[in-house]
Amino acid sequence: MRPFDLVEPATLEEAFHLLEGDDPAVRPIGGGTALMLMMKEQVFRPVRLVSLRHLAPQFGAISIDADHRMIRFGATTSFSELEHSAVVARHLPVVVRTMRTLANVRVRNVATLGGNLAHADPHLDLPPVWIALGAQIVIENPAGPRIVPAEDIFEGYYETNLRHDDIIREIRVPLNASQRASYVKITTRSAHDWPALGIAVRLEMKDGLAHHPRIVLSAATNKPTRLVRTEALAHGQPITPASLRELGEAAVSEADIASDSRGSADYKKHLLRVHLGRALHALALEE
Amino acid sequence: MASQTLTTPAMPAGQVGRSIPRLEAAAKVTGRAEYVHNMSLPGMLHGKIFRSVIPHGKIKHLDLDAARAVEGVFLVAAIDDIRKVIAHPYYGPAFHDQPILADGKVRYAGEPVAVVLADEAHIAEEAAGLISAEYEELPGVYDEVEAHGAQVFVHDELKPAATFPDLAHLLGRRDTNVALDFQLRRGDADAAFAAAEHVFEHHFRTQPTMHTPLEPFVSIADASGGSLTLHTASQNPSFVRIEIARLLGWPENRVRVKVPYLGGGFGGKLYIKLEALVTALSLIARRPVKISLTMQEQFFMVMRHAATIRIKSGVDKSGRITARSCEVWWNGGAYADIGPRVTQKAGFTAAGPYDIDNVELNSYAVYTNRTPAGALRGFGAPQTCWAYETHTDMIAAKLGIDQLAFRRMNLLHDGRPQATGTILRDAAIDKVLDRVAERMNWGTPLERGTGRIRRGRGIAIGFKGITAPTTSVAMINLYADGSCGLYIGTVDMGQGSDTCMAQIAAEVLNLDAESIKVIHPDTDVTPYDMGTLGSRSTFHMGTAVRLAALDANQKIAALAEELGVPPNSNLPFSELLRRKYRMQAGNIIGIGSFIPGYDKPDQETGQSANVTPFWGVGGSGAEVEIDIETGEFKVTKLVNVADVGAAINPKLLAAQLSGAAIMQLGFTTSENMLYRDGQLTNGSFADYKIPCLLDMPAVFINEFVESRQHDGPFGAKGAGESTTIAVSPAIGNAIADAIGVRLMDLPLTAEAIHGAILAAGIGGDDEH
Amino acid sequence: MSTERTVRFSLNGRAVKAHVASHESLVQVLRDRFDLFGSRESCGQGLCGCCTVIVDGKPVSGCLYLASFLDGTSVQTIEGLAPADDRLDPVQEAFIEAGAFQCGFCTPGFILMTKHLLAENRAPSDDDIRHYLTGNLCRCSAYPEIVAAVKLAATKQRGG
Ligand SMILES: Cc1cc2nc3c(=O)[nH]c(=O)nc-3n(C[C@H](O)[C@H](O)[C@H](O)COP(=O)(O)OP(=O)(O)OC[C@H]3O[C@@H](n4cnc5c(N)ncnc54)[C@H](O)[C@@H]3O)c2cc1C
Ligand code: FES
Ligand code: FES
Repeated sequence: MRPFDLVEPATLEEAFHLLEGDDPAVRPIGGGTALMLMMKEQVFRPVRLVSLRHLAPQFGAISIDADHRMIRFGATTSFSELEHSAVVARHLPVVVRTMRTLANVRVRNVATLGGNLAHADPHLDLPPVWIALGAQIVIENPAGPRIVPAEDIFEGYYETNLRHDDIIREIRVPLNASQRASYVKITTRSAHDWPALGIAVRLEMKDGLAHHPRIVLSAATNKPTRLVRTEALAHGQPITPASLRELGEAAVSEADIASDSRGSADYKKHLLRVHLGRALHALALEE
Repeated sequence: MASQTLTTPAMPAGQVGRSIPRLEAAAKVTGRAEYVHNMSLPGMLHGKIFRSVIPHGKIKHLDLDAARAVEGVFLVAAIDDIRKVIAHPYYGPAFHDQPILADGKVRYAGEPVAVVLADEAHIAEEAAGLISAEYEELPGVYDEVEAHGAQVFVHDELKPAATFPDLAHLLGRRDTNVALDFQLRRGDADAAFAAAEHVFEHHFRTQPTMHTPLEPFVSIADASGGSLTLHTASQNPSFVRIEIARLLGWPENRVRVKVPYLGGGFGGKLYIKLEALVTALSLIARRPVKISLTMQEQFFMVMRHAATIRIKSGVDKSGRITARSCEVWWNGGAYADIGPRVTQKAGFTAAGPYDIDNVELNSYAVYTNRTPAGALRGFGAPQTCWAYETHTDMIAAKLGIDQLAFRRMNLLHDGRPQATGTILRDAAIDKVLDRVAERMNWGTPLERGTGRIRRGRGIAIGFKGITAPTTSVAMINLYADGSCGLYIGTVDMGQGSDTCMAQIAAEVLNLDAESIKVIHPDTDVTPYDMGTLGSRSTFHMGTAVRLAALDANQKIAALAEELGVPPNSNLPFSELLRRKYRMQAGNIIGIGSFIPGYDKPDQETGQSANVTPFWGVGGSGAEVEIDIETGEFKVTKLVNVADVGAAINPKLLAAQLSGAAIMQLGFTTSENMLYRDGQLTNGSFADYKIPCLLDMPAVFINEFVESRQHDGPFGAKGAGESTTIAVSPAIGNAIADAIGVRLMDLPLTAEAIHGAILAAGIGGDDEH
Repeated sequence: MSTERTVRFSLNGRAVKAHVASHESLVQVLRDRFDLFGSRESCGQGLCGCCTVIVDGKPVSGCLYLASFLDGTSVQTIEGLAPADDRLDPVQEAFIEAGAFQCGFCTPGFILMTKHLLAENRAPSDDDIRHYLTGNLCRCSAYPEIVAAVKLAATKQRGG
């Protein structure tokens, strides 16, 4: 690594100013866990890093709306703040459960939610969960803020449609007392590996039928991907061995899965088939 | 000097057999233990290596200018610069085949081509990134079996080191990738196969893996005033001194090698690694030079041999194995390192710990365009054991004989000749197997399950010979105040040698082990030791230490006699020294030197009357749970039992056994250096997965059996590798027991299991 | 441009300052400016925990933490854990008694993590321990002894 300009603005305006121009070597930095790895490998050689640390008072809180219909996560919130938040544990237990096998204690103490989204490594565990939960992302820009669904941020392998001067401010997750959600991290080489597949599922059960399911696949695809055809098929269906088989096949034919060092495409498809079925089954049984 | 006759020890003082904590425990828990990693010298430069990105090719052009132009860069060096200080810059323990930097040709992706030196490491790194090279690419050979007969040659000719007479016949051999072929012939295998009731043949493969000590390779050279000091994370300081002195054409006494604690070694930090490079650079720069590799770079230094093994057995009506033939191809990578010795040592035990009259073994060290392969905890024994213990299990299954009973029926016992003809002695193979069976509750039926989750169990047993003949010398210095220093070249890399050696010395000298100071390897101060490798230290150095202590005791007795003190007065030696020198002065120095007997195997038949100083024996048992829908599996129970002779420090010993087994668990289920077109694709901890706490089996038992090595120090022998030997086949056999299908290649992955289940049809059962 | 800056922080209870370059990591600065070698870089990727440092009461990977961010923080390293030169912290004692290390390279990291685990959870179960410490690797594989050491340390800290 070589020296670069490291700045820590205290206001959003200052931050925008420091990000001006279109030099890809000028970027925001959250916890820096992902950037440091890229810098050490010399795949990213920064000219300037704009730290968002000092924006924490506005960007770093977890809050719940008075009517309990939405939780807001500031972008500089660390994973460990999420993990230890009583509000999150109560309203979005799936998020807290996901933390248990996400990276490790030290990374969770430093990495931020904004950096996690913007990094766009398809193996990350939280993006599929956000997408399954229907999260909306609040993005600040000198031209004005905008709000987009989480799935719309991701374009491809380590690729987002965030603009150079975009700063993620907040993640908003709608709450729904009758929803059930789970995330399954499937590793194939060792317990502490990156996932070969990540499967996030949310649904509501009404009279034994699945309603408004969201099914998101990550890690095996080049970006976290909603399996919309499978979702449509599952909507209004009972969760039975036969329907699970059908949904498994639908997911496999819908997902674009390639071979890599964590498994061949065929094997990963098979894992999707089996583990999606198990996840749906478990959710259906959940109280 | 004490004689080498090994007398029964005097009254034990109760030091041997105690589980004392490591002598350096407090230094390690406070972060103050000394590693080369921590060291820096005034004026020291940091080096960063520029490496080849292609696996095989000629260097057409090397552009060093941009790197030289970087502010703060002191020097950029390639092989021509090295030649100015070392005229013939090739090194290696068996073959002088490895250039200090690539010499006109690169032989593997990751090979060092040039080095940048700068005051600050980040400047050296930045500048190294600006070096570029143009190559004329050559076709590469990567697979050990292909390379055996290939027309692409990694080296133009073989260059065995002159120091090994048994390699002399290979000198100048051309147009081959086979660095060494070892062969063994016992009895008449052909005739026995012809007469056999059943003949079985199977092929196995093991994958390349890496030691990944958490302290990556690091060395510092300080050349000044016509002498050289190396501070290096090395397992064999004496070898480093001799080899560096040879390269420089200097006498040994101008080269000093110092080694503090090592942050792990596992066989990786043997022979020459960075030492020749930093030496040359320090001579050129006339300043101290340090090179510290990153974890990623370690994967370009050395690895464990991948191997392909063909094994064939003839069995008679009663279930006795009458003939076995094995062919082993070792993927040696681009430079021989110690591969030829692995080929030979693991070659002669490749038929397993069985009593077989007719044996035929061929073992080939093969050059390929990959990272050089060397020793890794077991010296090849875990690879051959994977083959022979899977094969053995398969035969038992086919014959419908219980796996344990079949092994017992064929086991090699003390007093019988091993494949080399050496009569087995002090190898508790039967006891180890019995204990594994007991801890596995082999007699009680296992609930295997019929649904989605299937259970199975397996056992395996293996053994290994020890590098021979090798020497250890120890020195004990008794100071005039009654305290004691122990001077040894054994490197404490975590195995606890400082503590065990102090216990041995303390036992003989009637001192407290904790009060002995162990002086770390410093070739100016500590005497010769062949190296901390291959489970040899407890036996070889332990014996040398015991002899040194006995020698010191004799000198104490002689001094007492000289002073007219009656033999049983029990005056402490400090008092004797005070009487002799009339003040607190003088020393009593005991020296011990040990080289075990050895009979060089016959070149044609591999036969020898004494092929190894002792036998290392390890057995394992495993239970697994498999999800037959996905192939996902868990090792739910792992039992490891070793024959280590007597325990000098039972607690440290238990830690060795468990650590070795977990390491091999990684080599069995997850670790695998993946290559695509000669390029390593997963050389970092992000992608090369070593075991973590969550990978531990729920039930994990490690034990040693009561036994005694007749000529070991207090009955002890080496233990650092024994429990690596049989772990893989025990797990593989358990998987086969659960689902009725066999995996022949390591590592054992969920995907491979699932593939085998599919191929066989779920619940398919060809063995039970 | 601010490629360098002076950071003031508390290091093992002492107020210190250091002039650091923007690219320097916490573990480098501890080594190069303060001669503290107990947290050490191994994997360099946040995965092994050899470089563990406690910043503002929380363990972080020193290899991935920019030293520039130290300004105003309170930093603890393994060197600051023992209460006195001749006395160890109960966690350090437990690691010795349980024999929870071999080469010792990973040990400071495991001890600092354990200290923090026990601050969060006075009586962790085996499963809690395994999960909390999965991000620390020990190539000597002293894992069974490490789990025993954590339990022993918990007992010691509870005054048992
Ligand atoms: C050892 C290790 C193990 C890991 N294991 C896992 C795992 O198991 N599962 C998992 O999901 N993840 C894992 N991760 C990845 C981790 O989740 C990411 O590194 C982390 O989330 C990135 O957050 P950060 O704040 O550190 O990002 P940074 O490194 O600061 O930034 C990452 C990217 O985001 C940009 N950025 C940062 N903040 C913003 C913002 N507010 N607005 C716009 N752009 C921004 C940066 O410019 C950069 O491009 C692991 C990481 C490490 C180091
Ligand atoms: S060196 Fe920092 S976590 Fe491994
Ligand atoms: S004790 Fe050696 S790595 Fe843990």
